[in-house]
Amino acid sequence: MPPIVEARDLTKVFRRPEKDPGLAGSLKHLVRRRFTDKVAVDHIDLSIEAGEAVAYVGPNGAGKSTTVKLLSGILVPTTGEVRIDGLHPQHDRTAIAHRIGVLFGQRTQLWWDLPVRESFAVLRDIYGLDAATYRKRLARFDEVLDLGEILPTLGRKLSLGQRMRADLAAAMLHGPRVVYLDEPTIGLDLQVKDKVREFFRTLRDEGTTVMLTSHDLADIEGFCRRLVIIDEGRIIFDGDLGAVKDQYARERILHVETEQPVPVEAVRLALPGAVITEGETPNQISVRFDRFVLTAGHAVTALAGLATLVDFRVDEPSIEDVIRRVYSGEILFDAKSA
Amino acid sequence: MGAYTAQARGVALGILEYRVNVLLGIVATLMQLVALLAVWQVLLADSPVQGFTWPQMQAYLLVTFACGALVSTNSDFRMAFRIQSGLVALDLVKPVDYQRSRFAEALGGLWLEVVLILIVVTSAAALLGGLTVPAGPALALFAISMLLVVPLKFLIVYVGTLACFWTQSYMGVQWARIAVMSLLSGALIPLAYLPGWLGTIAQWSPFAGLTSTPALIYIGRVGFGDGMMLVAVELGWVIVLWFGARLLWRAAVRQLTVNGG
Ligand SMILES: Nc1ncnc2c1ncn2[C@@H]1O[C@H](COP(=O)(O)OP(=O)(O)OP(=O)(O)O)[C@@H](O)[C@H]1O
Ligand SMILES: [Mg+2]
Repeated sequence: MPPIVEARDLTKVFRRPEKDPGLAGSLKHLVRRRFTDKVAVDHIDLSIEAGEAVAYVGPNGAGKSTTVKLLSGILVPTTGEVRIDGLHPQHDRTAIAHRIGVLFGQRTQLWWDLPVRESFAVLRDIYGLDAATYRKRLARFDEVLDLGEILPTLGRKLSLGQRMRADLAAAMLHGPRVVYLDEPTIGLDLQVKDKVREFFRTLRDEGTTVMLTSHDLADIEGFCRRLVIIDEGRIIFDGDLGAVKDQYARERILHVETEQPVPVEAVRLALPGAVITEGETPNQISVRFDRFVLTAGHAVTALAGLATLVDFRVDEPSIEDVIRRVYSGEILFDAKSA
Repeated sequence: MGAYTAQARGVALGILEYRVNVLLGIVATLMQLVALLAVWQVLLADSPVQGFTWPQMQAYLLVTFACGALVSTNSDFRMAFRIQSGLVALDLVKPVDYQRSRFAEALGGLWLEVVLILIVVTSAAALLGGLTVPAGPALALFAISMLLVVPLKFLIVYVGTLACFWTQSYMGVQWARIAVMSLLSGALIPLAYLPGWLGTIAQWSPFAGLTSTPALIYIGRVGFGDGMMLVAVELGWVIVLWFGARLLWRAAVRQLTVNGG
């Protein structure tokens, strides 16, 4: 089957007027127009198979939102092509509109001056949904997103969390096959984030293709299998999320609390290759190790032989740590995909 | 319900949220009406000027008021705001035509405007001691002309807001549009009072249909034949602007840059 989303050599250059500050600057600009070009998206190739959940991450200004706008046909690319389900975004705008859903976390598509229920009704008619399908979808969204008290509320009276939940439902109401979620958890509290993440999982499990952009990498852990990293408009990594973690997040830290003080030297002897640090009290100790050299079980057993364990816990680095190291240049991917 | 009916209904329901704004807007137009009535009463007290009698001028000003109130509520700000704030991005991923959607929204706001117009015109007629209503054919022509004001005004405002795609700010465009509109439409003064060359330009411009054409037909300044001609020009502009706006929209989308992340 051909990929449902396909971008070839996609580039977007923004022309920005170069203006000196103040009125004089504006007048000068009128006479002698100067522009600087900003390459927001730089020769991107990307193809997404139906049913995939792709995390699209990168630092601020990397070009994520611009990519989403190109892939949904909102912006016309400077060069390159986009195909959605084989269709051309500008030529087949209406057909594509039925296939895609778009959520920009920082904008709302709800009507400001109508109760959410009425906004949904307008969308129902815009997409030509029949009453039964509409009711069924709404009921299903309600289960996860808890829309009950939201539906009768005016768009402009919603809290951010309520608004985001309503917007998610609005973006999915027509049952699109592909959704682009651009920062769908921005500004949400933990509880709402959990709800929203659960909603993503139901989408994925129903076979919807999802492309998710977020700065909160907890959104993508356990949800996306594929990771795409963009920086300065270029894709610098495209591959399996688990593989990245295996390769770059191998470190584990075991924290143990013991009944008696532990002799650090004895631990070092018992666990060569691990880095041992003393904790705040003599009864605490931390063991840092590479999970391909040593297993957590092994370390615990060794420590149990030296002292009576009261408590222990293993910290894994998150994908967040890995990405942070990518942004800071500590990790460089040599090839484009791993 | 059809996609466009649904959008019109959305505005029709939501507009009550703005009733204070709508009311203030109408009050402003009403003030202008009262001021103009006072001025013309003095000017026309003794004898007609350029063939306008005082009762004719009363009717002219009432029609002007009605035309000014039609398609006036929020529609332009709504459209301009969508473009400036980048909300237009979300309109572009809907399976509907952008121009028809905005027109549907303008129609949705119409009911409140019509209600207010009826209230103002009937009470004004009562205060002024009754209005003369034109005879059958002229009345029909007047009705057609008033109906055409709706798409015509929508299109002029719509084309103005499309300028936001290039200018990124609406204030300047709006002021320019309002100034040109009130002068060339005959809302400020009847076109007969403009210098000859300007009057001719105005008469053939799309703006005449916004006020002058229905008003002149109503007061009987133009006969049936000339009236037909003016209405034909009005209709012609509606058609030209409808398709012209589409071309403009296509160009706008091609170079669209959506603001904000
Ligand atoms: N309409 C525009 N005009 C000019 N430059 C733009 C425009 N939109 C985006 N840019 C520039 O393009 C680059 C990419 O922007 P984009 O919004 O895609 O970044 P992003 O990865 O989504 O960032 P963030 O994480 O901050 O949302 C930025 O440098 C931005 O300044
Ligand atoms: Mg962004």
